[in-house]
Amino acid sequence: MKRSLILVATLLAITAGVFGQAPATAQPPAAATAKPITDADLKSPEMPKAEVRAKGDPDGSLTGTAADVAVADTKKGLTIGDLINQAGQNKIAINFVWTLVTGYLVMFMQLGFALLETGLARAKNANHTMMMNVAVYAIGMLAYWMIGFALQMGGVGAIANLGGTPPLSAEYAFNLFGKPFGLFGQNGFFLMQHGTNDVAVMVLFLFQMVFMDTAATIPTGAAVERWKFSAFAISSFVFAAFIYPLYANWAWGGGWLSNLGANFGLGKGYVDFAGSGVVHAVGGLSALAIAMVLGPRIGKFTRQGKPQAILAHDLVLVLTGCLILAFGWFGFNPGSTLGASGSGNLRIGAIAANTMLASAGGMLSAMLYMWTVYGKPDASMTGNGFLAGLVAITAPCAFVNPLGAVIIGLIAGVLVCLSVAFFERIMKIDDPVGAVSVHGVCGIWGVISVGLLADGKSNFAGAWNGVNGSVTGLFYGDPSQLVAQLIGVSTLIGVVFSASLVLYLVVDLFVGQRASAKSELSGLDLPEMGALAYPELDLTSRGVEV
Amino acid sequence: MILVGIAVTVLGFLISLLSLGMTSSVSGRLLMVLVGLAVSLAGIIGLINRAYLKNPVWKR
Repeated sequence: MKRSLILVATLLAITAGVFGQAPATAQPPAAATAKPITDADLKSPEMPKAEVRAKGDPDGSLTGTAADVAVADTKKGLTIGDLINQAGQNKIAINFVWTLVTGYLVMFMQLGFALLETGLARAKNANHTMMMNVAVYAIGMLAYWMIGFALQMGGVGAIANLGGTPPLSAEYAFNLFGKPFGLFGQNGFFLMQHGTNDVAVMVLFLFQMVFMDTAATIPTGAAVERWKFSAFAISSFVFAAFIYPLYANWAWGGGWLSNLGANFGLGKGYVDFAGSGVVHAVGGLSALAIAMVLGPRIGKFTRQGKPQAILAHDLVLVLTGCLILAFGWFGFNPGSTLGASGSGNLRIGAIAANTMLASAGGMLSAMLYMWTVYGKPDASMTGNGFLAGLVAITAPCAFVNPLGAVIIGLIAGVLVCLSVAFFERIMKIDDPVGAVSVHGVCGIWGVISVGLLADGKSNFAGAWNGVNGSVTGLFYGDPSQLVAQLIGVSTLIGVVFSASLVLYLVVDLFVGQRASAKSELSGLDLPEMGALAYPELDLTSRGVEV
Repeated sequence: MILVGIAVTVLGFLISLLSLGMTSSVSGRLLMVLVGLAVSLAGIIGLINRAYLKNPVWKR
């Protein structure tokens, strides 16, 4: 009865809201005389008869009735409590399916990365490059399952969109400047500890795992054609177990960066909706570290230090990879709501539209830049501009308007072209796929753009990171949000880059990061992997008829 | 030189972090964070990368 009264009160409130703006001459709301619904009203709902159902349901109008509502007590039959429980489970089911399917899309991005990087490598390294992209999936996943997920999300607390994740409730924190600084989670190792063998936790794990794997595959791009496979495997394991999860905890797992708003009054805390910083800048800065440790490929620079072009072996693979990545991004960004049903989650429409607009802006500005400066619309840089727009919009996609999204993409497209030239010509760093520029530099730009262009119109249950109100950037009135974003950037450069460099140096000390010069010159396919990707090419070049 | 570069890069982060405790004004914090970023970038570009460029593979 109490539930019935609550239901009626809710209906009254909704009706009052709907008719709240009606003219003064309007009739009084009919709901004022409505009778409370009771369990008795549910005893004989109209349902299609068995003989009608037996004839099939070609137009779908007979399938899905009151008979499909789960009943708690068959003796009592259908009750209002059953209906309410079913409504709650439907919401969570929608969000589970949404998060899982978008997670599958993100997993598909692995193929995009593999084709992109392999296409940009020379044919003699195709097997090795492809294998790095495939193997990182398994290596990274197991490391993340054992250690990384718990460090990242073990203290995140309840995630309402997934029905609450109560087992993930232990965050290690220490006090600094009189405030708690969350450092890492403590529940969820092996997905078996402290009740984390839980359906909602599993959904979260799958989604977060594919994000981690996206980050872990970025350094392979900068290390193409010279990274020893054993060193790659060890480095990737440690990256997935510790480096990525720690920063992800600080930003997404209830750690100190996300609480800069609640603890220090800086906007809504560090805001990175889908991971321009957490995924792409972490991967990109780690790529910079491994590119420095490995050094450039033989032949990339002349004795005078002048960069030489080393041509991609298959631009078709490169652009196919870019398109697959762009498709997967519709999982990456809209999926980061972790739900389609619930407060603010219909924002997925704006997020998806912003994602595609920024990608178009990035591609177009990079293409026009290359066309104007170098005379031709370079294919690989057009592809990189496409990805640069996507990387940059990943953090702000939920908080900016369509104009802001296009601006972010346009800037990213030019930025990636300038950045590639800077790293190659000034810093003399050999990054065969442009991973540092696309993911590192444009990831950082994406993080900063939240602090500039967030328009204060999003509304995810009225708060973000525990601070009431919408995320609002400098140009819309809140300069403190920009400071929070810059502290996130400083952490990326100061901590993530440094930790990655230390990791790669330690592995270099014990295993050696770079393949031998002999292996590099012959191509890594045979010496590292034991098989050529294209044996016919090798045989043909030796005059053998195939 | 590489280790010094790493230390300077981390120092830049610490300057940014200190801005949280040293002042509550937005512009004061912004200034400190920008200084921290500049120090970190100096560590990477000016020290670490320069150390790697002293004996690069193309001169061997």
